[in-house]
Amino acid sequence: MIPTLVACSGLAWGQQTGVDLDDRIVNPLTADPGKIVVLVFLRRDCPVSSRYAPVIQQISKQFSERATFWLVYPDKSDSPQAIRKYLQDYGYHLPALRDPDHQLVKLGRAQITPEVAVFDRAHQLIYDGRIDDWYVDLGRARPAPTTHELSDAVRAVLAGKTVATSEVRGVGCYISDLE
Amino acid sequence: MLHLGPGVSSWLRRSAWTMILLAGAGAVGMLAGRPARPSSRFSASAAAPAEQVTFNRDIAPIIFQSCTACHRPGEAAPFSLLNYADVKKHARQIVDATESRAMPPWLPEPQKLKFADELRLADAEINLILRWVEQGEIEGDPADLPPQPRLVAGWRLGKPDLVLTANKPLTLPPSGSDTYWNFIFPVPIQETRWVKAIEIRPGDKRYVHHANILVDREASSRQREAEPGAGFGGMEIRIESQVFDPDSHLLFWKPGTVPYVEPDGMALRLDKGTDLILNTHLQPSGKPEVIQPSIGLYFTPHPATRLPMLLQLENDAQLDIPPGQKDFLVSDDFTLPIDVELLAIYPHAHYLGKDIQAFATLPDGTQKTLIHIAQWNLNWQAVYRYAEPVRLPRGTKLSLRYRYDNSEENPLNPNHPPARVRGGNRSSDEMCHLWLQVLPVNFDPAEGDPRRALQEALARHNVEKNPGDFEAHYNLAAMLQARDKLDAAIGEYQLAVRLRPDDAAGNNALGAAFVAAEHSAQAVGYLQTALKTRPDYFDARYNLGLALAGQNDFAGAAEQFRLALQLQPQDANVEANLGAALAQLGQLPEAKSHFERALEIDPHQPIAKENLGALQKEMNSH
Repeated sequence: MIPTLVACSGLAWGQQTGVDLDDRIVNPLTADPGKIVVLVFLRRDCPVSSRYAPVIQQISKQFSERATFWLVYPDKSDSPQAIRKYLQDYGYHLPALRDPDHQLVKLGRAQITPEVAVFDRAHQLIYDGRIDDWYVDLGRARPAPTTHELSDAVRAVLAGKTVATSEVRGVGCYISDLE
Repeated sequence: MLHLGPGVSSWLRRSAWTMILLAGAGAVGMLAGRPARPSSRFSASAAAPAEQVTFNRDIAPIIFQSCTACHRPGEAAPFSLLNYADVKKHARQIVDATESRAMPPWLPEPQKLKFADELRLADAEINLILRWVEQGEIEGDPADLPPQPRLVAGWRLGKPDLVLTANKPLTLPPSGSDTYWNFIFPVPIQETRWVKAIEIRPGDKRYVHHANILVDREASSRQREAEPGAGFGGMEIRIESQVFDPDSHLLFWKPGTVPYVEPDGMALRLDKGTDLILNTHLQPSGKPEVIQPSIGLYFTPHPATRLPMLLQLENDAQLDIPPGQKDFLVSDDFTLPIDVELLAIYPHAHYLGKDIQAFATLPDGTQKTLIHIAQWNLNWQAVYRYAEPVRLPRGTKLSLRYRYDNSEENPLNPNHPPARVRGGNRSSDEMCHLWLQVLPVNFDPAEGDPRRALQEALARHNVEKNPGDFEAHYNLAAMLQARDKLDAAIGEYQLAVRLRPDDAAGNNALGAAFVAAEHSAQAVGYLQTALKTRPDYFDARYNLGLALAGQNDFAGAAEQFRLALQLQPQDANVEANLGAALAQLGQLPEAKSHFERALEIDPHQPIAKENLGALQKEMNSH
């Protein structure tokens, strides 16, 4: 593995915004008050990201009353049209943000696509990393996942409990390759 | 003089699935002549400018040789690797993928017997990619950039002589487990053609992990379709065949495959009425995908003169793996009865397979590794063709050693927690198969097809391995019968029938063998048993007619032939034999009309032809 530099501290609040598909600046943490927030980091050219679409859609639906899920696209070359088409192809019904400057990537400590960042109502990052353990490494997936880090984290935050693990790296495509 | 025709109509049911290969493995050749660079993961900061790795000079040649064939638009890979920007955008991923040897996909360990189109990166190349990334992914001097490989879009071998497209597309759901689907392609040819290459275009290549073509010479797979043209599911399929016609090619497609063109004399025969079955492994992508494969056929005017054979080592019977067992060994050993050249090898196991090895022990004791895969991965299974044919003299022992991991530590284990796993056709079952494409050499053509001796030895080996297995005995019997060893064949059929007393095919074959041996009296009971199990069994009905005629029960014979005609009204042999039986009963006008009917269906039907003349004379003399 290559050590990947991630800014872990020194972030000033207020700078963590993305750009929606109509080119409006959006702060996903404050856009939908009262709900917890999940950022899902995706690359359109990452097959592992894409294969997760039904899983992400299903988990977001399960918690839709109390959690807002945002799809975040950190590839600065992604156009809103391209992302719209991707959402349609993969049957997503979730809001999408572009993150060309990787502000949200830094906020959510994302390194790989797909990874998620789960924030509590106080905007504290509670969990960052993989969705589950479906993929073992590139090209090798289990028949079904045996752990469910994203669902567990969301459930724990909603129940006001601490999460068992706060960080597990995902398998997929490097976000740092986009810099 | 009136006589009856020969009666053996159904004698060989192949138990194996007949796999066909025309395709080579990788798309690119070996990297030749590039000096290995001294490299170390930690040398980056100390690297002098002269040692700076650049994309244009150092990385592009590796990428173009080993990645671009698939990583380009329209091909199997999920993103393109055609230029600096493409590669930079995936640079760290490429480091991970090459260091773990997930990419390029090439499972065998390095060995002395070389494979054609080996797609394995040298350690030095992998290190070079790593150093390039560590040094900041420098693009370098444009003058150093080699030209992009010239890659053909569309059909790789040009326009095929015949393109077949799947009747109905398959819609792959966005999620769920992998799908194994079989498409049937009837081949619309009116006469026998010889195929020198087959290109498989499996639809959108990104979702097809691999595909095999099986040759179904008797349209036996169509009965598995819910409706004509729909195709059918299943990971492992069997093609049944009634004649000794060992399909001898492995037709295989995986991402990056360039169609293999058979050398002169090694073409694949396709007859009128042959179906090609495309067996595909499909992986959901996250969105619904429509898969509609095509097959392109390239013909040659040159018929096959060199006839290879597919030889299978296997031991599914040994597969009974307890849950938690981390290192379960399965073996098979077979000694070659003839000299052969080994052309290609195709190992196959499912998700518990871990370490896969095959080796040959020559009569002089030397051992050759034929293949070793230390980390089996079903998703990247492939046919491997040797760069040069491997000479294996008679008396060489071929050995298979497969190791399976049924513990929790095997992430691909289909059961969580682990459960007992046995041999079987479902993807959650396990398999232990190894196919070898061999070409008999140094044989006397006067002694007939040398593949028959090989097939008989294999059938005998299977009976030794699985003495309680019906099909092992059945297939050995069929092979013995094909080699005119009728008494031995009857003995093996009897052992088969003892194992499955009510089996229609077994009883029919035994009955037919007795008819062929002119022991009609002994045939009748077995044929009746076959018909009790399967009253609409045409072959058994026809054979029973012959058996009764052999005992001079022509009324009984005529009755059976009439029943057979109800099952297959267009059969000239039955018409002719019915005519003969009626003639024996003195019913000459009726006999005449059946002979005529036989000749309408087949103007060359020999019994009808000969008997009709004799009958005319006899009728005229009255």
